[in-house]
Order: sequence, then C-alpha cells, then structure tokens
Amino acid sequence: MNKLITLAVILISNAIFAQGAFDKFDGQDDVTSIIVNKKMFDMMGKVKMDASDKEAQQYINLIKKLDNLKVFTTKSTRVENEMKAAATQYIKSAGLEELMRINENGRNIKILVKSGSKDTQVRELLMFIEGAKNDDTVLMSLTGDFDLNEISVLTDKMRIPGGDDLKRATKGSKGPKGTK
Amino acid sequence: MKKALLLSVICLTLWNCHSEPTLQKYFVENTENKDFIAVDVSPSILNIKSQKLSAEQKQALQSFDKMNILAFKITDQNRDRFDVESEKVKTILKDKKYQELMKFGSGKESASVSFVGDDEHIDEFILFANQKENGFAVVRILGDDMNPTGIMAMLSVLKDSNMDLEQLKPLQQLLAK
Repeated sequence: MNKLITLAVILISNAIFAQGAFDKFDGQDDVTSIIVNKKMFDMMGKVKMDASDKEAQQYINLIKKLDNLKVFTTKSTRVENEMKAAATQYIKSAGLEELMRINENGRNIKILVKSGSKDTQVRELLMFIEGAKNDDTVLMSLTGDFDLNEISVLTDKMRIPGGDDLKRATKGSKGPKGTK
Repeated sequence: MKKALLLSVICLTLWNCHSEPTLQKYFVENTENKDFIAVDVSPSILNIKSQKLSAEQKQALQSFDKMNILAFKITDQNRDRFDVESEKVKTILKDKKYQELMKFGSGKESASVSFVGDDEHIDEFILFANQKENGFAVVRILGDDMNPTGIMAMLSVLKDSNMDLEQLKPLQQLLAK
C-alpha cells in the first residue's frame, strides 16, 4: 500500500515538474551530468560573507534566488539527438521564449528563457549547445526566480559548460534590443 | 500543556530513533565484511594547533565530530556483489531524511553529496562516490549542529592544516589495483 502511494506521488510530481523531461539523461553511460538542488543553493545562501565584499554579496543574493541547476553533456550522437528531441518538446510544453541563438564554428547555441513578472525576471533559463564534431553537446537548465542581468555574476564564479556563451547572451540583454 | 509538549517531544525522539538505522546500520553491518574497507577518522587528523585558530574556526571545528568511511573495493571475487551493494546504498540515500545537495555523474563514475538536518543545523554530510571499475565509497561526516558558515571556516582550516594522513592509510588499498 505504502509503495503504491509512493509510486503515485512520484508519478504526480514527475508530471508537475516538467523538469523530469531531462531526468532520463541522468545516469546514462554517455552522459556527464551535474545536478545542483535547491537545498544546495539554500545552504550556500546562508553562508555569512564579509559584508564589505560587494561581489560576494551579489553572488549570495543571486544564489538565494536559484532553485535547480542541471547540466548534461554528451559526446554521443545518439544522445545528442535524444537531447534535441527532449529539448524541443520541452520548449513547446513549457512555453519558453528564445533569447538568443548563436551559430559559429559549427556550434549551434540556443538560449531560451521563461520570463517572470518583469521582462528581465527569469523563471527558467535553458541552454542547448549542439556541439560540432568531437565537441560536447550541452543541455543546461537553471530554474529559480532571478534577474537575467545577475547571471553574469554566476558565470564569473562558476565554471559551467557554455558559461561564456551565456555571458554574452546576458550581457547582450542590457543592450538596446533587450529581452522579450 | 507542558506535558503534552514533552510527550510529543519524546514521541518525536523515539520516532526519530526508530527511523534512524539505515545508513548507520549499513555501516555497522559491513564494517567487518572483508569486501569492505572501513576507516574512522577523528578531527585529530587535521593536526591543528588550536591556539592558532580564530574563534569562528574553533567553533566550526568543535561542531565537527568524526568522519566514517566505508569503501567497497572490487576484486575478481566480489564483482557481482558490487551492483547489489551500491544499489543498497542508493536506496538508503533515497530516503527523504537524506537531502541531496548535488550530484555528478558520467557513465562510469558518479558522486553525490547529501545531508541530514536542516540548512543551518546540519547533523551529517554524506558523500557517495561510485566508480564502476574500482568500487564505491560512502563518507559520513558527523557533527553536531554544523552550519554553512562553519563549513566555510572549516575549509579554510583544512587549507592550512597539516593533515595526518596516517589515518587514511587503509584507503590506499582502494587505489592500488
């Protein structure tokens, strides 16, 4: 009986958290995954930092607003195609808007966001980098409730795959075009 | 009113004790098992001269109790046990008592960090590292009311510490092929 309830809960929560769309990549043999949970961000946000260190404060402030970070990278073409399919489907179902698209050196980078109340307020940021030959394909999802302009703080501090591209995108958002 | 409160506290404590076993039990059960390597590390490993520490660091160090390591080393004889045992640990860690902080995985290897307690009062950290070729290791860092700021302080202590690696000697077996 208990098991049944657990199963039901798992199924329901999977349906609610559309994030589950990518969970299948976790633990696959050809996939490298990094998953950071909300608890981690919560905890990091609780670290008392030197109040005079502005950059650190900025960092902590952002961390507090983050929920989940998931990064999946792969070199396998098969998984790449699966990722592409999963991402495309997810983008449709979750209503993500394209923020930026970059095409260079055979790499195809797409950055999408789900906006919150304000234009620059982001609930989710999804990045998909289709690698050229021998390059990693990267699928990254960051959820929370943060300002797009703040993300550059994170890319400065954390070495996440595609961080540089992300930086360009978020820096770009300050420009005249802005985010829609 | 007070009685009721006391009663509920007792109930909670008992209930907690009851739900406690899992990882602790697993450690106890397997410490003697020859497929496993068990190491207990006390804070003395850090070999720190306490007079050099700041008050904050001292407090952090005090909240740290001990570290238990249990490692499963794959040999030709126990290869088939590996999946069974690592699956057992995974199941234990799925209990919601263990809150997962982050995990990393890449086919052959995986690692995860979980904790027990709440954000500012951490009782235990669990590191679980798994390597398909060599084995797996579970590290429990036990403490009393550890907090995030304290951990940062600890890390700074670790950097300056003169670690007494003698205590980790048994683990060398894990690396030796």
